[in-house]
Amino acid sequence: MIRLTIDDQEIEVREGTMIADAAARLGIDIPVYCYHEALGPLGACRMCLVGVEKMPKLATACTTAVQDGMVVHTYGEAVDKGRKGVLEFLLINHPLDCPVCDKGGECFLQDYTFQYGPPKGRFKEPKIQKVKDGPINEFVLIDQERCVLCQRCVRFMDEYVGEPQLLLDGRGVETVVTTVDGVPATSQFSGNVIDLCPVGALLSAPYQHKGRPWNIERQESVCTMCPVGCTTLATGRDGHIVRIEGRPVPDRSWGWLCDRGRFGYDYATDPTRLTISFLHANPEAAARTTRQVGHWMSDVMRDAGPDSIAVVMGGLHTVEEAHQVHAFAKNVIGTSRLSISRDVPGYVPRVLNGTYADIADADTILLVGVDPYEAVPVVHLKLRERQKSKRPVKILAVAPRDLSRDSLDVNTLITHAGQEAQVLGWALSQGMGTHPAVKKLAATAPVGVADEDLTALSEALGSSEHLTILWDGLQNEVGSVLAALADARGEKATRILPTWGPSNWRGFERAGFSADFDALTSLLEDARAGKIQMLMTFGADLLREYPDERLVREALQKVPHVVFEGLFRPTEPSLYGAQLPQAGPGEVAGTYVNMEARLLSATPSVTPPGQARPVKSYLTAWAHALNKPFVADDDWDPYGDDTADLLPFDGIQAKVWALKPPNLGNASGMELVTGALVIENGIPSHILEPRAPKFPGRISPQDAEILGIVGQGLVRLGKDGREIRVPVTVDERMTPGRIFVPLGMASCPVNRLGLGAVEVARLEEVPTT
Amino acid sequence: MSQASHYLLRNHDIENIDEMAVYRAHGGYEALKKALNQYEPDALVELVKKSGLRGRGGAGFPTGVKWGFLPKDGRPRYLVVNSDEAEPGTFKDRELIEKNPHQLIEGMIISSFAIGANQAYIYCRGEFLFGYETLVRAVREAYEAGFIGKNILGSQFSLDLFVYRGAGAYICGEESALLESLEGRRGNPRLKPPFPAVAGLYGMPTIVNNVETISNLPPIVTRGAEWYASMGTEKSAGLKIMSVSGAVNRPGNYEIPLATPLRSLIDDYAQGMKPGYRIKCIIPGGSSVPLLMPDQLDTPLDYESIVKAGSMLGSGGCIVLDDTVCIVKASHRLIKFYREESCGKCTPCREGTYWMADVLERMEEGLGDANDLSLLMDVADNISGKCFCPLGDASIGFLVSAIKHFRDEFEAHVTEHRCPLGAKVYDTANN
Repeated sequence: MIRLTIDDQEIEVREGTMIADAAARLGIDIPVYCYHEALGPLGACRMCLVGVEKMPKLATACTTAVQDGMVVHTYGEAVDKGRKGVLEFLLINHPLDCPVCDKGGECFLQDYTFQYGPPKGRFKEPKIQKVKDGPINEFVLIDQERCVLCQRCVRFMDEYVGEPQLLLDGRGVETVVTTVDGVPATSQFSGNVIDLCPVGALLSAPYQHKGRPWNIERQESVCTMCPVGCTTLATGRDGHIVRIEGRPVPDRSWGWLCDRGRFGYDYATDPTRLTISFLHANPEAAARTTRQVGHWMSDVMRDAGPDSIAVVMGGLHTVEEAHQVHAFAKNVIGTSRLSISRDVPGYVPRVLNGTYADIADADTILLVGVDPYEAVPVVHLKLRERQKSKRPVKILAVAPRDLSRDSLDVNTLITHAGQEAQVLGWALSQGMGTHPAVKKLAATAPVGVADEDLTALSEALGSSEHLTILWDGLQNEVGSVLAALADARGEKATRILPTWGPSNWRGFERAGFSADFDALTSLLEDARAGKIQMLMTFGADLLREYPDERLVREALQKVPHVVFEGLFRPTEPSLYGAQLPQAGPGEVAGTYVNMEARLLSATPSVTPPGQARPVKSYLTAWAHALNKPFVADDDWDPYGDDTADLLPFDGIQAKVWALKPPNLGNASGMELVTGALVIENGIPSHILEPRAPKFPGRISPQDAEILGIVGQGLVRLGKDGREIRVPVTVDERMTPGRIFVPLGMASCPVNRLGLGAVEVARLEEVPTT
Repeated sequence: MSQASHYLLRNHDIENIDEMAVYRAHGGYEALKKALNQYEPDALVELVKKSGLRGRGGAGFPTGVKWGFLPKDGRPRYLVVNSDEAEPGTFKDRELIEKNPHQLIEGMIISSFAIGANQAYIYCRGEFLFGYETLVRAVREAYEAGFIGKNILGSQFSLDLFVYRGAGAYICGEESALLESLEGRRGNPRLKPPFPAVAGLYGMPTIVNNVETISNLPPIVTRGAEWYASMGTEKSAGLKIMSVSGAVNRPGNYEIPLATPLRSLIDDYAQGMKPGYRIKCIIPGGSSVPLLMPDQLDTPLDYESIVKAGSMLGSGGCIVLDDTVCIVKASHRLIKFYREESCGKCTPCREGTYWMADVLERMEEGLGDANDLSLLMDVADNISGKCFCPLGDASIGFLVSAIKHFRDEFEAHVTEHRCPLGAKVYDTANN
């Protein structure tokens, strides 16, 4: 530890700490533009000049490491003049167009000039003119004249994200930040540069000229687009959310967001948003539809009993709302047919759930199926930060496609579709075969996987001191293997991060619903068998989500009363007797649970649009129709007594069961593989349209040649008489014999076919998507 | 000029010494043989330390001491020769690589052997196309002759030598910016510490030396440290090449023993001022250093004496300004150079040089006002000591001393609203 004095206050900090950070710990504000803790020191802006006794010149606090006995002064004649000088320099070529700048009022150039700057400039010559409002991409604008060249954006993209799509061009005073070769930045982390920019140079294109700091409401919120659960600030103006920013949480999160989360807020005003209700597909006042649903409910309960009503929870509801629905279903209706809408069958019990700290602490990280970059983007950044840190880490993957990319080095063991559990199970039985849990797996040798790969995997799983696993849940049996793995590894940490949606599924589980996939399947089978008279879905679009579209369709056709409550019109609205508008994130107060099983609370910044209302108001109306009391338990909260903001343990144990050998299908066709794409999570966004893949399917160059596809094309995937049409692109990273189609895309629903063997043929038509 | 023999600029005495055969006929690569056969690497470092050789790029840091900073941790090491000579008024390295490249290459092989580097680079200034091509040819000749490559001259020592041409940036003469550029990135200076000797090229221990410094190696090895140390003073030993420019009779590069008086350089070596011209002031060490006045002509040209006189030996670019030169125009021209060459990384240098150039231009045009002089001094003060790398401080070295010595002339520009001298001399096409 190093002891030093800053402005007459003594402090002890770790060796290697910069003066700026030491001062921050004392609550002393040192102005700075270029320095950001996540990016490390640079020393470019010279704003953080401080005086250090026995040093002849002023020192930059962000690049000068503390020394024992150092005496630092953050003010004084020389320091004040130095800062004044730097600010005057920064302003000579600054356009001073604060009145029309979006950053005006929340700008560090304004703030520091006010606090430390000269009252008046002495520069009389013409200012250098540069590009104003030039595009970085569809979402980010750059005003090069306002730029102070702190390089935060350039360094973030290059060093932190590993996608060097911004650079400094030109020299000296002509230096500008721009994109590489004028090509728009494609990184899905591009929006973070807006938050990083300390001045008004990098601006959100959709937010441009939409509001000033003094006429907006900014509330702490949570992103619900994927299970990462990034903390956000939601800006509301005139009843609409008009901006999402990252919200750093000390010691936990830098506040990064992916562009999906940052710019996807316009779903709330999407034309497909339900703002009125529908009764038998006809528009109807919400109050009337609610009343009608109440009548159905009362009739069904009288005629067929409460258990003939089934309730499925899903979508973007809060834990509290789920709890209210659960209480209503249990206590008012009295049904036991309750389930969570699932798009993958996997399950991880709370007891094995890891946190992001397990990524930082791991020596080995295993990705099972999931491509973090596409499914849980900000976790990709966490993995990259881990890989860049000094302590070595192995990142392995078991998946039917290569998960390595330029920005993250992943050693992938490429399996067949549906073979992951067998590969993992067999690797486990090689190294820890004597453990009873592993024995119980009864793993068999996988076909087509090299022995040395299995041995390497087995060794990595066995020898790791801290193993962290990310799993996409696509293959249920992996859950059994992971349970056995955790058991066999005993004391050594084995933590799992489930990356599937709905983003708040763990919160619904906390509210009382079962996340067991089989519960949902048997509920749907019961419906198909005519045992259910009324099906109520909250936030869930089963037809899109459930892995077997046919089962859902047949079930929905069979049930007399299907009630849908959600944010958007469901797939095939004609199947629903009633559709009710839901109040979404940013419109209701509540709590969400992310993939860490961490509770994150959100404050609403706007009120729900149209007739959308919190779920409680529907429940209360129905209870009234049923003539039963309903207490919404407003004092219930999902927190546990001694797990802080993590969910309490629920007593569900990890289960191990014997694996069935995978059915790899016939060798002649191709294998359909899938995975979540955060951009295609079913939540519409006009702003993000340019990012939606036009050719979402992916095939290997070899298969493209066989099919006669050059670059991009349209294919037909068929299986058992069912088919989907998929615009595909050739992807070098795909393994021959596999075709990737993202999960849950309305235009090419994977759940119509199911995974595994499919017949693939090229279509001559030019895709119009 | 009548020096009988040269040690560094032997091309003055021997025609075509840039060719391998000629160079070898005059004792070329004998120093290398001697170094490989008679010295252990550490002994060579000791030899250089004893010779008193100091960095000739500008800073004058003792070369042997710098070599001693390399950590002994088994990581690969690199030698990088800085041939990004772009300081206005300095043109010595250019002659060394264009006319006597084998001397540099021989010096590099010896230096690499001494510091244990198996890869060496020459970073050649982008504009030096001819010098670059000469170096490439000379390196090829040296490879063919077996002086570079595997097991040089039958020893255990192997070396690969690469010539890299920059893209034309003064800042890349700053060693850490040079390394950035050499690695293929934008030539911006790096944060120090760590210094290149600890983490340089590709993060490995790296020695960056100037062309002239390394060219000193063959003569030192051949003639011994005592011989070298016998020239100059105790602290400033050996030879220095001075580039003389301005209204002298024979501008050019001159190899002098350190501590030769400035007057001797101008009067004896450069054969005095052209008829009708008188010395106004002298920039002794390249455009970055404060000027010396005619009454300081007896200053010995060694590191310490020049510092005592208020300037620096720097890179040895001796610019003689005569009495037809407008000091405002000259300041403007130099500041403009720094404005163009500022990399843009740090605020004071980037914006300050731009600002000062504008003010000086206005003054020279007769549009200055009474506050401009104090404004210039204040802007210079806001740059001084607050920049990321030495370029910022370099940019104001001449200006501040010019205002100190020629305040009257600056003020005259403002009060008379015109240039009293008419400023013809520095009206370059580049204006």
